[in-house]
Amino acid sequence: MDGTFAKLAVIGSSAVLILGLVLLWRRRSNAHIAAFSAQSVALAATIALVGHFTGDGQLYTVAAILLLLKGVAIPVLLRRMERQFGAQRELEPYVNTATSLLLGGLLVLLAYVVTRPLVTLSQLPTRAGMPLAMGLIFVSLFVIISRKKALTQVIGFLVLENGIALLAVLGTYGIPLILELGVFLDALMGFLVMQIFVYQIHETFESIDVDQLKGLRK
Amino acid sequence: MTTGTPLSGTLLGGSLLGLAQAGLALALAPGVVGLIRWLKARLQNRLGAPWWQPYLDLRKLFSKEVIVSPNASWLFRAAPFVIFASTAAIAFLVPMLAVPSPLDTVGDLIVVVYLLLLGTFFLALAGLDPGSAFGGMGASREMTVAALAEPTIALAVFALALSAGSTNLGQIAARTMADPAAALGPGHVLAFGALFIVALAETGRLPVDNPSTHLELTMIHEAMVLEYSGRYLALIEWAAALKLLLFFALLGNLFVPWGLATRVTPAALALAVAVLSAKLVVLAAAVALFETRIAKLRLFRVPELLSVSFVLALLAITSSFLWR
Amino acid sequence: MNGGLFAALLLPSLGSAAVALAVRPHRRWGSVLGGVFSVGALAAALGLAAHVVGGATPVWGPGELLRADALSALLAVCVAGVAALAALSAPGLDRGRESYDQRQARLFAIFSNLFAFTMLVAVTANNVAVMWIAIEATTITSAMLIPLRVSKASVEASWKYILIGSVGIALAFVGTVLGYFDFVSRVGSHESTILNWTVLRAAAPAMHPQVVQLAFVFVAIGYGTKAGLAPMHTWLPDAHSEAPPPLSAMMSGVLLAVALYAIVRWKAVANAAVGSTFPDGLLIALGTLSIAVAALSLVIQRQYKRLLAYSSIEHTGLICLSLGLGPLGVFAAMLHLVNHSIAKSMMFLLSGRILDRYRAAELAGVSGLLTAMPATGACFAAGMLALVGLPPFGLFLSKFAVVRAGFAAGRPWLMGTVLGLLAIAFVALITQLNRMLYGSPPEGVAIGERRRLGLVPLGMCLGALLVLGLAVPRPVQVLLDGIVEIAGR
Repeated sequence: MDGTFAKLAVIGSSAVLILGLVLLWRRRSNAHIAAFSAQSVALAATIALVGHFTGDGQLYTVAAILLLLKGVAIPVLLRRMERQFGAQRELEPYVNTATSLLLGGLLVLLAYVVTRPLVTLSQLPTRAGMPLAMGLIFVSLFVIISRKKALTQVIGFLVLENGIALLAVLGTYGIPLILELGVFLDALMGFLVMQIFVYQIHETFESIDVDQLKGLRK
Repeated sequence: MTTGTPLSGTLLGGSLLGLAQAGLALALAPGVVGLIRWLKARLQNRLGAPWWQPYLDLRKLFSKEVIVSPNASWLFRAAPFVIFASTAAIAFLVPMLAVPSPLDTVGDLIVVVYLLLLGTFFLALAGLDPGSAFGGMGASREMTVAALAEPTIALAVFALALSAGSTNLGQIAARTMADPAAALGPGHVLAFGALFIVALAETGRLPVDNPSTHLELTMIHEAMVLEYSGRYLALIEWAAALKLLLFFALLGNLFVPWGLATRVTPAALALAVAVLSAKLVVLAAAVALFETRIAKLRLFRVPELLSVSFVLALLAITSSFLWR
Repeated sequence: MNGGLFAALLLPSLGSAAVALAVRPHRRWGSVLGGVFSVGALAAALGLAAHVVGGATPVWGPGELLRADALSALLAVCVAGVAALAALSAPGLDRGRESYDQRQARLFAIFSNLFAFTMLVAVTANNVAVMWIAIEATTITSAMLIPLRVSKASVEASWKYILIGSVGIALAFVGTVLGYFDFVSRVGSHESTILNWTVLRAAAPAMHPQVVQLAFVFVAIGYGTKAGLAPMHTWLPDAHSEAPPPLSAMMSGVLLAVALYAIVRWKAVANAAVGSTFPDGLLIALGTLSIAVAALSLVIQRQYKRLLAYSSIEHTGLICLSLGLGPLGVFAAMLHLVNHSIAKSMMFLLSGRILDRYRAAELAGVSGLLTAMPATGACFAAGMLALVGLPPFGLFLSKFAVVRAGFAAGRPWLMGTVLGLLAIAFVALITQLNRMLYGSPPEGVAIGERRRLGLVPLGMCLGALLVLGLAVPRPVQVLLDGIVEIAGR
């Protein structure tokens, strides 16, 4: 493998993945929000790194927006939501922690297998980090399926978006700036709408335990 | 490969070197434990016993009378020796002073893991043997922890072995010395994290087990040795201290191997001893700081922590695999 | 000229949304204006289609941002048509109606128009990523409206919808990124045009097969979630049944179609890159599973709107299946898509009328439809017969075309299974229909048809279905042939 760029890219991606695994480990929402915030910072750093080594100035803008949006603004909103609805007992997830972590490890292995053709075909120095990004995508999908608190599902979705952004940056050095902005805007809108819904769930059901959303079954 | 005096090349030379290593380890082990205790005391604003206190404790224990429960069998008397012997055997195999050493052919990573497990197993049996409630409780808890911790040790060091191309511990250290850039690779960093957590678990330190507690709800290691007294207890305590030192040695010399002697000259060996001591002090300080900062985990949370270290080790292996 | 057409297509819905946003409290003329604008958009869509039938391919914008080929034109007509239907049945239009208050009517006007706008952008955008952004925006705008009437059920439905829908879209984005993964290493450029369908399609044969396969899997699962394909369909029955009826009409009628549009576009790229075996196989698998799940679920339904929703899953599955049956299959699929849009939107709007009168969502609460609301009941019955694929309605013709394509593609057993599943669905739907139509109406239900004006557009839908059922009109045929060209062999 080549050079400092590749190594640093892998270190950045590993940090992003491991912070994502914290979602499987800790149960309290504060830990989740802190991990998400740290992960967004790590992701922004990785994107800036890629921008530095490829000489692409647009990636700096992307990293800055990511940092502001997902590293600062969204965690603030999440903490506010947590304060509003969070005074709940910790909810036992559908799959317990130890099993979740083991499944998370297996999902990362699966990601290595799935991205094998990509890694062999890619010429980019950042290709070694792509399995980690895909692993994060799988792990966040698992978080969304297996957690009961609506807030955790929202955070899982935000982490999924981080994983996709990482994959895009590592595999293709990102997509054109205008589109990146459009994607950001969409993501922000989606998040705000989800926030509204968590509020509505709380108001209607008096808890944000998604397990209670079982009325419509057939 | 070793260049230097022919002394290291022969089996005799290697054995002497191994003996020296093991002796050094045995000598330093209680000191490390004492240092951690002293540092913790200082951090907690207490005066604390001096760092050589464990040596005095051992001497006292060796001179005391042994009381054995009438329910105990031969296992109770034999276990301390097995535990001590297995841990001391590991001391021959872990690279501490010089690398590579000819004793590497006697045992590698797999043997080390098995020896650790042997010691743990006999300790658990010894806890069960006298039929006391505490002993049984401690034994079952210890097995829960060991069941998750042992595979993680194997995986974490195996991750290093993959990038070094051999399970021989000396080779691993030598390869890392030859290729400093790889030491910062994600495989190494993750394996270090995993091994650190496991070291805390295996040696009975916070957050897994409180080494200074005697409350029945929180004991793991202490519960198993509750029935022991006199020289048996001394052997077990010494073996526990030795285990801690060996884990530190693994952490220090596999991941940051510079300072190990590649040639068996007095100067190199002296440097190796000095560097080893430095690493031990640093790691002891780290553990002491860590223990002062966090609280003990509830027992049913311990598997979660160990799962984290297992996943880290798994990730370390996949990273190493890709980096070859 | 082209710019004008596109503007006339896209701007009316934006305009209606803006008007509704500005006017507070909501006035009736706002909704009337919205209705007029939506008809204008429909006219523009028909104009675009006319151009395409004439052989042109209208483009507009920097880097060919908007482009209307046969596929886009057909979908645009469908979307604009259903949007017009919904706008003409909007809550704000009816005076003195106790169902929705002014605040809800205003919200509906804003978001349903934005919803229509995003769908129109999705089908006319030339750029892969712009299409993705638009489809994500459809999730957001439609999700805002599902809990228009807040209740535990609607909140639950909207939560599931937005979560599962957003996850699906995110997966589709992974597929999009993977899809042009090859480019940067070779071309290394960062212009927006790289993501145009035309460029992507042209470069497809040179792309690595495994990467494109992986990308297509993600795309199929991602956009398939939005299309309601099993096993990602769990949000659909809840969302479509809890939403206000005009919104359900738009979602079932055309949102599913837009998601399928995305899949067809990507299929064209995949066909060019890896040949048609793999994409066909995947689409057939997803389609068959959807039909199976839907047919079996139809048997146990207790609410009529959920019944219609599961029927949507069944039809979407059939369209998806047909896409995997070669060129004949693509033709049949697109024909079925058009027919289904018309039929399903009409059915949902009719169910809205039934809900208003009977105040019951359960099948058990509806009986004597022909007695209480003769015209509505007759239309509902005709629509249901259309949905199960009876002649002389259009769906019969398209289903027949699907089966024919299946046999031509050499999959007789598959077609047999599918026909069996469709028969199960047939029995389930007709049984429930009979229960709804005959008998006597429950206590407290007024007798006699009211608000006949609302029936006019629905009658026109029925007429369209009849026309499509007797013979496919020449312009539609040209468009469909064009689509077969685009979708590749």
